[in-house]
Amino acid sequence: MIGIKTARLLTLIVAASLLLSACGQPIKKGEFFGKLTPPDGQVLRYISGSEPESLDPQMSSGQPEARVAIAMFEGLLEYHPKTLEPIPGIAERWANNSDASEFVFFLRHNARFSNGDPITARDFVYTMRRGLRPELASRVAFMAWDIKYAQAFNEGDAFVRDPKTGRFVLLSEAAGGEQPSAKTGVEGVADTEFNRLIHEPERLTVPGDEKDRAKKIKSDSKLAQLIAGKELVPVEAKDIGVEAVDDYTLRFVLRSPTPYFLGLAQHQFFRVIHEKTVERYGVNWTKPENIVCSGTHMLAEHKPYNQIVVVRNPYYWDAENVHLDKIIFYPLEEQTTMMNLYKAGEVDATYNHTVPASWLKAGLRYAKDYMDAPENGTQYWQLNTTKGPTADKRVRKALAMSIDRKALENFRVVSKANGGFVPSGILPGYQGPPGFITPDVEGAKRLLAEAGYKDASGKYDPSKFPAKELEITYNTSESNRQVGEFIQAQWKQNLGITIGLHSVETKTYFGMRARLDYKGIGAGAGWSGDYMDPYTYLGLFMTAGGDNGTGWYDPVYVKMVNDANREADQAKRYAMLAKAEEYLLDNAPVIPLLKPATSWMKKPYVKGMYPNPGTLHAWKFVYIEHDPSKWDQGMPDMTTPGLAD
Amino acid sequence: MFRFVLRRLLITVPMVLVVITLTWALIRLAPGNFYQNERPLPPTIEKNIRARYGLDKPWYVQYGRVMGGILRLDFGSSLRYENETVNDILRRTLPISAAIGTLAYLLALVVGITMGTLAALKQNSKTDYAAMALSMLGISVPNFVLGPILVLIFSLTLFWLPPARWGGFPSWNLVLPVLTLSAVYTAYIARLTRAGMLEVLRSDYIRTARAKGLTERQVVMRHALRGGLLPVVSFTGPALAILITGTVVVERIFAMPGLGNYFINANLSRDEPLILGIVAFTSMMVLIFNLLVDVAYGYIDPRVRY
Repeated sequence: MIGIKTARLLTLIVAASLLLSACGQPIKKGEFFGKLTPPDGQVLRYISGSEPESLDPQMSSGQPEARVAIAMFEGLLEYHPKTLEPIPGIAERWANNSDASEFVFFLRHNARFSNGDPITARDFVYTMRRGLRPELASRVAFMAWDIKYAQAFNEGDAFVRDPKTGRFVLLSEAAGGEQPSAKTGVEGVADTEFNRLIHEPERLTVPGDEKDRAKKIKSDSKLAQLIAGKELVPVEAKDIGVEAVDDYTLRFVLRSPTPYFLGLAQHQFFRVIHEKTVERYGVNWTKPENIVCSGTHMLAEHKPYNQIVVVRNPYYWDAENVHLDKIIFYPLEEQTTMMNLYKAGEVDATYNHTVPASWLKAGLRYAKDYMDAPENGTQYWQLNTTKGPTADKRVRKALAMSIDRKALENFRVVSKANGGFVPSGILPGYQGPPGFITPDVEGAKRLLAEAGYKDASGKYDPSKFPAKELEITYNTSESNRQVGEFIQAQWKQNLGITIGLHSVETKTYFGMRARLDYKGIGAGAGWSGDYMDPYTYLGLFMTAGGDNGTGWYDPVYVKMVNDANREADQAKRYAMLAKAEEYLLDNAPVIPLLKPATSWMKKPYVKGMYPNPGTLHAWKFVYIEHDPSKWDQGMPDMTTPGLAD
Repeated sequence: MFRFVLRRLLITVPMVLVVITLTWALIRLAPGNFYQNERPLPPTIEKNIRARYGLDKPWYVQYGRVMGGILRLDFGSSLRYENETVNDILRRTLPISAAIGTLAYLLALVVGITMGTLAALKQNSKTDYAAMALSMLGISVPNFVLGPILVLIFSLTLFWLPPARWGGFPSWNLVLPVLTLSAVYTAYIARLTRAGMLEVLRSDYIRTARAKGLTERQVVMRHALRGGLLPVVSFTGPALAILITGTVVVERIFAMPGLGNYFINANLSRDEPLILGIVAFTSMMVLIFNLLVDVAYGYIDPRVRY
């Protein structure tokens, strides 16, 4: 029974309120965003991402958990606040052998848990053994699989032993390869009985589960012969290649050269936990009333979905250099809510990718407290190298060469152009090839003509190109569609071909990619580096399966990467890996596009916190500056040599 | 009366079990599971996880375990949050959701009934139009629009109220979420009250009451409201059940650690025990409140007898 007048009035009110919410206050260039009142004392209020699945460092896989774990637990190494390179943590120094298959860490003598108990090498041995227990079922246990027999233990495998002679069947007997030559360990570290055992040639391991074993034997007749008449000895925690040589010397023996091991050792999976507490309380050991911590801070309060409060750990070995008395982590997921809290001055910093695109476009990207720095990740498209036109390397390269990535960067606002597969300029010391950063349309046309798509005069002819056999397949998402349309237009403009877009539900898309039944182009792949080393990217193509997604497998490439990983000199190794990356790009199983940027907010009074490539912060360097004259006037300088300014 | 309540309570149990079974089946039909992320896990790690949570057992064993637990009112442990039982989560989050929900409910009742009654008594006056216009607005503006608008005005422009987060009970943090949540209910209650009152005010027994010489105040308060509120009662019973068991949108906008927030995340992460626990609890609440409504009818409306 509402009159027309009332209806009009209503429309007006709704329109007005929507308008109000749409514009809000415009964000001006070169200003800070929202309130600038620092909290009293040394307290940081930080939005850390979704509610941690677990506070147990060996159980959690994600970054929201990592941010909290870094405060509560320390490992052998810590992240450099600016570059994320390994810096000393509980280990004062470390050394590795010539082929990086053995690492020894020398622990500081004054490290203590939050209850005052000393931290020794034995605690690290316990931490690793427990993290790898199959019954713990840690999702991230594979982070430690490079340690000798760690994977076998984690998978519940068994050694094969001859009951008569007591001799173990060796891996080389099953694989038929050469017996690898004996390696030298790290010099100057005591030899032990365990060390002699672990350095014996690698033993064969088979699944402990009868069904799995039967399956494996069925597909491998040689294995059946080797196992026949032998007894199975389960791989135990004590067989893993991690050893406390003495209280303050910890030795890791790895199954193959692992030059990026230090990067792995920074992960929360390697952060030390307190054995007695864990064994006593089981899954409840991380509750505030039970937990014992090893990091700069210790847990004081945990209210799920509300806040996690950590306070200064008085027993931390470097407590006098820890600035923050308290960190309050807010587990939040709604970007708008985060920005509201930030603007109202109720939080001091957020984590990466928290600024909504619409806010950025409304001007927030010009704010002085917007953190925009390259991230340890890469965004690319996969090409199906097993069938269709993209089975031809020349076609793949041509597609990759004819995209203007700078234009894409301007279009995407946050992400930056990336010509190679490894994100450029992020990994210290690694200089990858420029890749496809400069578009080369003429070169692309030449390649396509060579591939047979040419007219009578031998010139490239778009009408000959079977564009219908290709499809830009992507998992449904707004940003994938936008990038898809952008590149579709580029190919149309530059090569004169129109390739259709095909949107697929996410889980279905992952299946298509794994089975390689997408038509030519799998759009929207992304990879975040697990550690600061190019191998975290280049390793994707070491097998045809897994996360590869393209079907491209080339023994030449595998050898190049393996050779590089056996190189002890890091500069030489990086140069060799760069060569391998160049080879990869020349074969173009992927079209590199962009490297993501961190995109987060930090109040100017929060110091010692840098937009590093992983948005992982070693909290010990962070502090609140109450003197406005010392506040950051933009992104903090990351090029200065010190740990924190 | 007693037999009626008992019968209804007995029906509740199989109904909840049916709801649980359907939910359980739906979770199984949905693609993905709680441990799968974007990156595929190594198969052996997946196997460890499946063994730890008993997912490697045949479906009827899993179903039996779930049902056995529910009959003992023990929903088991959350899969995603490894050291929390579903009962812990319910115990912790329910008071938060209930606080917001009850406050919103009370506010909606008081404001809604007042608005509706005034509108009915002064039908076709300016008061009536204003009240109905406001309630139309309340119904048509969804809470994910209203919430941000309120935040924009009161938190980000005037800096009077916190924009989000739980601050304990009572606290200023409650104001905006309660307002946002109550808006649509206030609007509905106002319209229902108005319609109910208009109908009752024209009925014979009101004419009789007036003829007896009662004052207008007595007529309204003692006779009209009782009949006029019947539609409101049948609406607010189930509404209260939904309000106190958590409202997803408001809890997310205002980052409230209530049941609604858990429910949405439990679904996204396929946390089976948690989904089942929350569904079982919510459906029990809805059934119980419906029962309460029916009982209340008997008291309010003299025509209804059991």
